[in-house]
Amino acid sequence: MNTPSEAVLEVLNLNVKYGNFLAVKNLSFTVQAGEIFELLGPNGAGKTSSLSAVEGLLVPESGVVRVAGYDIKTHPRHARANMGVQLQATSFQPELNVAEIIRLYAGIYGVPLTREKLGSILENINLREAGSKKFGQLSGGQQQRVSLVIALIHEPRLVLLDEPTTGLDPQARRQLWERIESLRNQGHGILLTTHSMEEAESVCDRVAIIDHGQVISTDTPQALIDGHRNDPEVIRASRKGKVTLEDVFIGLTGSQVRV
Amino acid sequence: MQNIPSTSTIFSSLLRADLTTQWRNRKSFMLILIVPVIILFSWKGVIDKLGGAFVLGTCITLGLIAIGLMGYSNSIARDRDKGIFQRLRVAPLPAWSVMSSRLLVQMLMILLLTSTVFIAGFYFDKISLSAGGYLLGYVAALVGGAVYLGIGQMIVGLIKNAETVHSTSRLVYFVFIMVGMFGELGILGTQIGHLVQWSPYGTVKHILASSFQAASWDLSATKALLITIGYAIIFSVLGIRWFKWSPSERG
Repeated sequence: MNTPSEAVLEVLNLNVKYGNFLAVKNLSFTVQAGEIFELLGPNGAGKTSSLSAVEGLLVPESGVVRVAGYDIKTHPRHARANMGVQLQATSFQPELNVAEIIRLYAGIYGVPLTREKLGSILENINLREAGSKKFGQLSGGQQQRVSLVIALIHEPRLVLLDEPTTGLDPQARRQLWERIESLRNQGHGILLTTHSMEEAESVCDRVAIIDHGQVISTDTPQALIDGHRNDPEVIRASRKGKVTLEDVFIGLTGSQVRV
Repeated sequence: MQNIPSTSTIFSSLLRADLTTQWRNRKSFMLILIVPVIILFSWKGVIDKLGGAFVLGTCITLGLIAIGLMGYSNSIARDRDKGIFQRLRVAPLPAWSVMSSRLLVQMLMILLLTSTVFIAGFYFDKISLSAGGYLLGYVAALVGGAVYLGIGQMIVGLIKNAETVHSTSRLVYFVFIMVGMFGELGILGTQIGHLVQWSPYGTVKHILASSFQAASWDLSATKALLITIGYAIIFSVLGIRWFKWSPSERG
């Protein structure tokens, strides 16, 4: 696994354009090995566009994305081989059962998978009995666990998690946070998007607040709170006298509801 | 540092999954087979008048239309709609491998359909061909099948919504069957009959019927073969060009 402080993801001056609309403007950030980095922003801020450019699902107007040193434009397969992705709405062939889905992705990532190894993977995520079930028959939490196992099956250096806790109950969410923290401790670099401020405060090492396609501020959650606690907009947004990350977020991005 | 897995490993994994998916969907494939088999059974009395090659050619053509328009296009539209392709695309695989695996499964279905029609034709109508006729029949079915897979690809290329793909492909399927069969039999007039003859329906049926009796292969069969290949290339190129991996993909 990686040595700490090695960049597993570098995004430099990224611009994403849809027609005449510039969705991401000069976005730059890095994710280090052993770090949980979060992109936090309101709806339409450019999070998904940025993530799609990192995943290579869309071609940016300009800028550089490097995963484990590989440029996603010039070496897309090498870059993807070093990243594990959990998409926001992951779906697998509904005709395949969980074991078959894991087997499919192990093959795609070139990971040899014996019956014993498959059994231990299922055991690790408490789904030993669910191997023969279809993905659609699993609960939301179980589906997330399967998606995460598939994202990590090849031990990638960079893990991309797009709103991984959406729709999970508190128990399942806590369990996932523990999994994410354990990945960090193993040296994986993790790029996370979420709407949950609680998640950002509890799990993330650094947070980049983005709006209108631009980074407004990047720092640790506590440093963001400390650095902005005296901003008039943040004070206006704060409730019950205590400044939270959510207050900083509202103060920096405005209180208007985005669609 | 992760290495890129070999293309053969990736392809065999995709193919195994696609074959499993097809096997679990065998009921829908049985429905595709029903129309040709019913025709073989119901045309029992007119085989002598129409000729065995004509009947087999018609039945296989109808099956090919169903595979390309009802089976292939709908499965691609569904998987695109559900985000299955997006999940695959963030993995280190070449994009062509995803579609090639799907197409290989469809080619196997075409061979299965052709075998079923040959067997049912022999069983119900006592239609038998020479060994060469059967062999060329399989080849012609694959060439003809490429036309309808290309049309199916074009439909999913043009239309992003899975429900709309489903209803459009059904509509096109019925238009092909009705105009093709009735037009060919002269029921819709001479002009339509002539158009049908050089349409994807007519040329595919022509090369199938001619391949069953190699001795009767003539210039018009060669023309039909070239036009069929042309259709397959045009529809496939347009279908690939227009295709988007995600319904929300822009431009």
